[in-house]
Formats: sequence, C-alpha cells, structure tokens
Amino acid sequence: MAARMKLKLKTVFVLYFMVSLMGLVYALMQLGQRCDCTEHDLPKERTISRLRGELHRLQEQMRKSEATKQPQKQPAKPSLPTIFVITPTYARLVQKAELTRLSQTLLHVPQLHWILVEDSPHKTPLVTDFLAKSGLSYTHLHTPTPKDRKLQEGDPSWLKPRGAEQRNEGLRWLREDRRAQQGADSQQGVVYFADDDNTYSLQLFEEMRNTQRVSVWPVGLVGGMRYERPVVEGGKVVRFHTGWRPSRPFPLDMAGFAVSLRLVLDNQDACFDGDAPMGFLESSFLQGLVTMDELEPKADNCSKVLVWHTRTEKPKMKREEALQAQGLGSDTAVEV
Amino acid sequence: MPKRRDILAIVLIVLPWTLLITVWHQSAIAPLLAIRKGMQYDGIEGKKEAGGQVQDSKEYCASDKDIVEVVRTEYVYTRPPPWSDVLPTIHIITPTYSRPVQKAELTRLANTFLHVPNLHWILVEDSQRRTALVTRLLRDTGLNYTHLNVETPRNYKLRGDTRDPRIPRGTMQRNLALRWLRETFNANSSQPGIVYFADDDNTYSLELFEEMRSTRKVSVWPVAFVGGLRYESPKVNAAGKVYGWKTVFDPHRPFAIDMAGFAINLRLILFKPQAYFKLRGVKGGYQESSLLRELVTLNDLEPKAANCTKILVWHTRTEKPVLVNEGKKGFTDPNVEI
Repeated sequence: MAARMKLKLKTVFVLYFMVSLMGLVYALMQLGQRCDCTEHDLPKERTISRLRGELHRLQEQMRKSEATKQPQKQPAKPSLPTIFVITPTYARLVQKAELTRLSQTLLHVPQLHWILVEDSPHKTPLVTDFLAKSGLSYTHLHTPTPKDRKLQEGDPSWLKPRGAEQRNEGLRWLREDRRAQQGADSQQGVVYFADDDNTYSLQLFEEMRNTQRVSVWPVGLVGGMRYERPVVEGGKVVRFHTGWRPSRPFPLDMAGFAVSLRLVLDNQDACFDGDAPMGFLESSFLQGLVTMDELEPKADNCSKVLVWHTRTEKPKMKREEALQAQGLGSDTAVEV
Repeated sequence: MPKRRDILAIVLIVLPWTLLITVWHQSAIAPLLAIRKGMQYDGIEGKKEAGGQVQDSKEYCASDKDIVEVVRTEYVYTRPPPWSDVLPTIHIITPTYSRPVQKAELTRLANTFLHVPNLHWILVEDSQRRTALVTRLLRDTGLNYTHLNVETPRNYKLRGDTRDPRIPRGTMQRNLALRWLRETFNANSSQPGIVYFADDDNTYSLELFEEMRSTRKVSVWPVAFVGGLRYESPKVNAAGKVYGWKTVFDPHRPFAIDMAGFAINLRLILFKPQAYFKLRGVKGGYQESSLLRELVTLNDLEPKAANCTKILVWHTRTEKPVLVNEGKKGFTDPNVEI
C-alpha cells in the first residue's frame, strides 16, 4: 500500500515538474513576442471613454446651469494691451505657405496687430490679397534691402543679417502711427519681432503681453542646440545659456524677446543695425534700451520652450526647371 | 502514516498552482483595464473669450480597481468652434514620430485645426507607447482627438534606430487609424464624415477643409511642392471629370496624387473594410494608389479647389535642426521639453 502510495506520489511530482517546466518555457518564449491584447481592449476602452465623455458633458451642463443662476455681476474686463507683431517677409516659393500658417496662429491671439513688411520695392499682389483674406488686423509695408546687404543665390543663410531694414521700417511706422493716436491706451502695448518661418505657441503671446520693459524667454532649436535660454536666478536674468558666442551683449534670438511699446516710443532712435556682425543684430537693438538685470524673465522663469526656430526646406524644383526650359512650365497664373 | 503524507503531498501540489493561477489571473486583467487608447470627445463649448479662460477639468483614469478623480485647473487659450449638428465631421489622420521638431510641428498644426469646426484629429504615434509629450500636447490644445500608437518594426539588420525601409513611413499608423474608424463607426449609422490624411509638416489653408466637407466619394485637388514641381494637380476636363494627372514623375500611376491631395468619404471607408494602404512591395509614389484603387475609379473622383486650379495645401518640409553645439553629452537640460 505504502509502495503504491509512494509510486503515485513520485509520478505526481514528476508530472508537476514537467508541467511547470513547460509553462516556464512557454513564458520565456512569450517574452520576446509582442502582446496582441488589442483585440480585447477596444470594446472595454470604448465604453470607458464613452462614459467619461458623458460624465464630462453632464458636468459641463451642470456648471452652465449654475452659472446662469448666479447674478451676472462680472467686472468689466480691462482692455488688453495690444501685441504688435513685426514680420519681415520676402518672396520665395514657400512664402504663401509660411504666411498662411503663421496667420492661422496669430488669428487666435486677441488684441494683436500684424505689421507685415515685404522686402520689395513695391507691395506684391500675393501678399496684398493674402492679408485682405486673412481676417487679421494688419498693416502692410514694404522696403527693399539694399543690394550689398542682400543675400545672393547660393549664399548661406547666416552670411548676412536679414530683415533689419524691414524691422526698422516696421518700427518707424509704429512710432509715426502712435504719435498720431490720442489716449493713454494707445501707448500701451508690446512689440514682438516674429519671423515668418518660426513656430509660436499661443501661450507665448499671453506671456509677453504685460511686458514693462523687455521680457525674455527660451527659444527652441536655435544656436545649434535644442534650445537657448536666459538663466534666471532670484527672478533676474544673470547670464545666457547659449552654445554660440555667449559674450555677445544679448546672445538671444530675435524670437526670444519682446519690447514694451512705451520703451520703443521713448527711444525714437533705437533700431536694428544692418551692418552689425553676425549674431549681433538683436544686441544692436537692445543695447540702448535695457540692461541685463532689467530683463523680465517669462515662461516660468525661462524654463519652458514656447517658441521654436523652425526653418522650412527649399522645395526641390528640378523637374519644374526642366519643364520650364522646354517651355512647358506649370501655369504661372496659379499662385503657389 | 500514509494518510498524512497524502494530505501533505496534495497540499504541496495544490498550493503553488493556486498561487500561480491567482498571480496570472491578476496580470492578465491589468493590461485589459489599462487605458492604452485615449478617446476624448469635447463636443461642447466654443466661446472664444479674450485672454483665454480658466477651466476646471476632471480627468478619470481607471486603475486596477478604483476610479481616481483628478481635478486640474487648465488655462485654455482658445477653443475650437462650436460643434455643429449639420456639418460632416472631418477625421484627420496624422502619423507622427519623435524628433526635435515634433512638438513645434504639432503645435502649429493644432493652431490650424483649432479654426476648423467639427474636426476630429486622429494622431497616431510611431512608437511603442504613447509619449507624454504628445499626450500632454493633445490635452492642452482642447481639440477633439483620438490618440493612438503603433510602432513600425525596426530593421534589425541595420544598426541603430532605422525602421524597416520596405514599409513606407506612416503606413502602419494610417492603417491603424483606418481600422480604428472601422471599429468605432457603424457602416449603417448616418453620421457623415470625411477622412483626410494630413502629415504633420505640411501647410493647410482653412479653405481646404471646407472644400473637402462636401466629398461624396473621393475628392481631389492640387498640392504644391510635390513631384519636383511647383504643384501637381489632377487633369480636369470640361465636363468637370478627372481624366489624368498633371505630373512629371510617373503620371501613369493609377492615382498620381500626394497623400495630402485627396479626401475620402467615411461611408466609403466603412463599406470597403478590406481597403488599406499596402504595407510592403510598394513602389515609390504608389502608396496612395494602393489604397485608392480599392475604393474608387478615376471617373468617380470629384475635383475641388475651383476645378483643381487653386492651391490650398502645400507640401512643406521642415529642415532638420543642426544641433552641433549639443556635443556628445548634451549641453542643454534634457528635462526641458522642446
């Protein structure tokens, strides 16, 4: 009886051992495989998210009904300072596309006035029509860059500073226009220099709106780094974190600062120096206006990136050029 | 005492198995409950207030057992237009992948989409897991979105992070989105919708979305900066029908059009549930044809944009930023998100 018992036990244990070994091997094999749980997830998740959505909607309704019950005694909103965005632009293939997507961002920002300055001896129909349809509050200016300062075909983009004359023209118009305006409100505002190929988040414009003198923030994808930024200690800018020529008076990018309108109007001569050496364009403007400790850090003490110095590739036109040589180029009446 | 030994043996056998089974059961349940795909329908409100508004939002995440309530106060900078009951929904499928300019591209794309009423953005990441960057970005935009992800298998033969070159970029992601649409929407439901494939680096005019809303089957229009030309466009005859393609690169493709140059009615997608982008063995430029030929013939195409004479979408490409000054160890704080 005992022997049979033992035998039985032995076989059971052996069986147990074999099964667990097989299970282990199976589990090890499963480790390398991708889990195909997707089939199971969907209905459950859909129900969960649907319920979530319904809950959210009901809460919104509740809040709405509560809001209407309360007396409508909200204090009148103080008028927002206007943000004047000065953008130099020049004709090239991607111009309309760049301006289109920039305008789509600017359309979301309240109290914004766009000063678009063309690098051209006259206003082009493309930009004129575009601005008319944009829905933005705008001023359309133009001024050509003198030939010796203009980048030639094949020049690297960093060879000569670009947009200086156009930005100065924007400043000139602004100063003249504000002189004609009455009222303390018209002297309130911020001036921001926005290039037409950068990318701006909506939060950036709210950060800069209450600039008292000059406010600064980090800029992404510039200076050969993931981002460049002012270093803030104790609420003040103490130095600049940049990989390129940090000894410049203001080693920041054009997109990294905004100037209060008050300051621009009080310093009628402050403008960009088109002859400044590479990278000193911003400093040439800011030097006379403000010192480093007067700078106002924004974007959470300069720790968040709210603007990116993106650049758009030049589209390849080999086939177009080949066609044009044959006289079969695409219809130029179609605006691109 | 054989009896006691018996009992001991049985206990010794049964105990580990019960433990194993309970542990396995637990681990099998957990991934089912974990939300891997987020669906958020924000169909109400569209008031644009000056200076934005503060909104209390409650977020629900289901853990294994409890529903945890998280109250967040968000500053909403702008909201999409109010949801309309009459406009067909535009489902925009955008594949995306991590690279330095990703956040910038998605930000400006979101700024564009925030102007379009009845828009549903299906963003599909090429990644193993949904990244925190995209999750946060989608949530902060206030758009109506669905966040999916599927990883294109890497090419193990090549060293590094290169994906399988035989699978064109974005294909698996677009297919996943199509599958999601088919599983979410009933073919018999009357919810009208349009499906559009929008890459994250192109530029779209707002007019384009209104043009595509009236698509009955598949509508087409010109696209700028593709095929080495100022623009490529379908050839439209006097009767308003597409009869060919005005391109230099292989104009004899069944559909010589860029991904951004067409939109499909959702009904068609649902009626032909087998139609997907071909994954492998697709010649350069034939990706779009691999899907469209299963859905529609040339004769059924609807030309938009003033009979294909206006450019409403540009195939822009963003330069890869030069990060030389980061050096080997990285100069900037990697915790700062760009």
